[in-house]
Amino acid sequence: MIRFSNVSKTYDNGTQALKNVDLEIADGEFVFIVGASGAGKSTLIKLLLREEVPSAGAIEVNGYTVNRLKRRQIPGFRRSLGVVFQDFRLIPTMNVYDNVAFALRVTNVSTRDIRRRVPYILSLVGLASKARCKMNELSGGEQQRVALARALVNNPKLIIADEPTGNIDPELSYEIVDLLNEINKVGTTVVMVTHEHDLVAQFNHRVITIDDGSVVRDDADWGQR
Amino acid sequence: MKGSSFTYLIKEGARNIWVNRMMSLASIGILVSCMLLIGSAILLSINLNGMVSYVENQNEMVAFLEDSADDITVSAVKAALDKNSNVDSFSFVSREEALERYSEIVPDSLLENLEQDKEEVFPLSFRITLKDLSLIDETTAQIESIPGIMRVNAPTNVAETVTGIKRAVYICGSGIVIILLAVTLIIIANTIKVTVFNRRKEINIMKFVGATDLFIRMPFVVEGVLLGVISACLAYLILWGGYTYLMNYVQTQAATTLSAFLKNLVPFSQVAKQLLASFAVGGVAIGVFGSMIFVRKHLKV
Repeated sequence: MIRFSNVSKTYDNGTQALKNVDLEIADGEFVFIVGASGAGKSTLIKLLLREEVPSAGAIEVNGYTVNRLKRRQIPGFRRSLGVVFQDFRLIPTMNVYDNVAFALRVTNVSTRDIRRRVPYILSLVGLASKARCKMNELSGGEQQRVALARALVNNPKLIIADEPTGNIDPELSYEIVDLLNEINKVGTTVVMVTHEHDLVAQFNHRVITIDDGSVVRDDADWGQR
Repeated sequence: MKGSSFTYLIKEGARNIWVNRMMSLASIGILVSCMLLIGSAILLSINLNGMVSYVENQNEMVAFLEDSADDITVSAVKAALDKNSNVDSFSFVSREEALERYSEIVPDSLLENLEQDKEEVFPLSFRITLKDLSLIDETTAQIESIPGIMRVNAPTNVAETVTGIKRAVYICGSGIVIILLAVTLIIIANTIKVTVFNRRKEINIMKFVGATDLFIRMPFVVEGVLLGVISACLAYLILWGGYTYLMNYVQTQAATTLSAFLKNLVPFSQVAKQLLASFAVGGVAIGVFGSMIFVRKHLKV
């Protein structure tokens, strides 16, 4: 469950990125957040990840009141969600297996469980045969699937995808969103930020449109329009 | 933290050294160079100090006893000298020994002209070496006040010069070591800063997958410890080899007038343990604290 209650964010330089946003996303939903560049999408993600704190209002994610989290509570909160970034954010010196296992290692999972869980997740995203490959040996689409595997490996309740198709070929974009769709079908909440309207139109999901820091539209089923 | 996580973090730290080998090599190079500079400055300072101490030890003061001094007086003076905290060593010189020493430097013809018994001319005396030559005036006064002492001949001028040189060596040596330490800290701080900056993305990723600050810092700390230890060992070995070679070369090549000084060069074994310990502690401390401080900046995500 995600709840934004009257959230505003003004940066130190005076830029008002979000204005009085009220938003609720239920568990198990798949939501696209769309909007032009500078609309406030990135700020929304930063607030969701507790990279930034709101200037006003309250944010609740996975039972955590994010705006009130103490520094030492942040790692625990972030372990309850999986994140996929536009630029993949993979560690280039590690192979596919280690990049995924890494997310488990930080949570003190035993080596035996890591050995069991990582191959399973890699097979889910279709990369079982590339476990020993380095990042520079993979295509953009494959790298994004590694990032997706890393986000999934902790079995999070929520996946936040920040423009996950922004750096990959259009034909592979569908594949990535379809993977997210499959993940959502087993009950994981997915919030995906994108500006690719054509891609959004191919899936029947809720679409929240942000413009100039405010939620201007909230369509329950854009794909059906 | 679980045992498996701890082992992983140690392995990760060691792996990072290899993965970022060019940066590791640069860090080791800088650390070794700095340690060599500081080590050389320390060795030079110790040796100069040793040479000055050698000169210092060559300067004795002589305390002459009154003509009437008998065995009881001599024993009393010995006891008083024993009690004096600044007296390093002393030796009693009998009239016969004094004559013997005198005849070594004065032509026999001069001695033959003496009207009285030759031995009687020379008073009983003590040759005294001091621990701290800078206290020569106070010690001279103390010895002069011992009953039975007639006069004390003290090389006050030499003492002042030697004490001055010693102080200068100490001040210059300490100054150079402090400056080198400061320069070393700045260079190493920048090296660690660059290393951490190069890996800021990695730190950022760790934060987003829920790593605690301790988990992120540990590999950097392990890396710092390993680089510090490797550099300390390398610097120690180079300094050992270089110093031993130089000492052998100087001692075989030097002119005979200098040989007395050079015999007093401090052998490496005498300072080896302290040097290795300071290098290791210094290297590890810089590695650990440097990593802790500079990683911290990137943890605020």
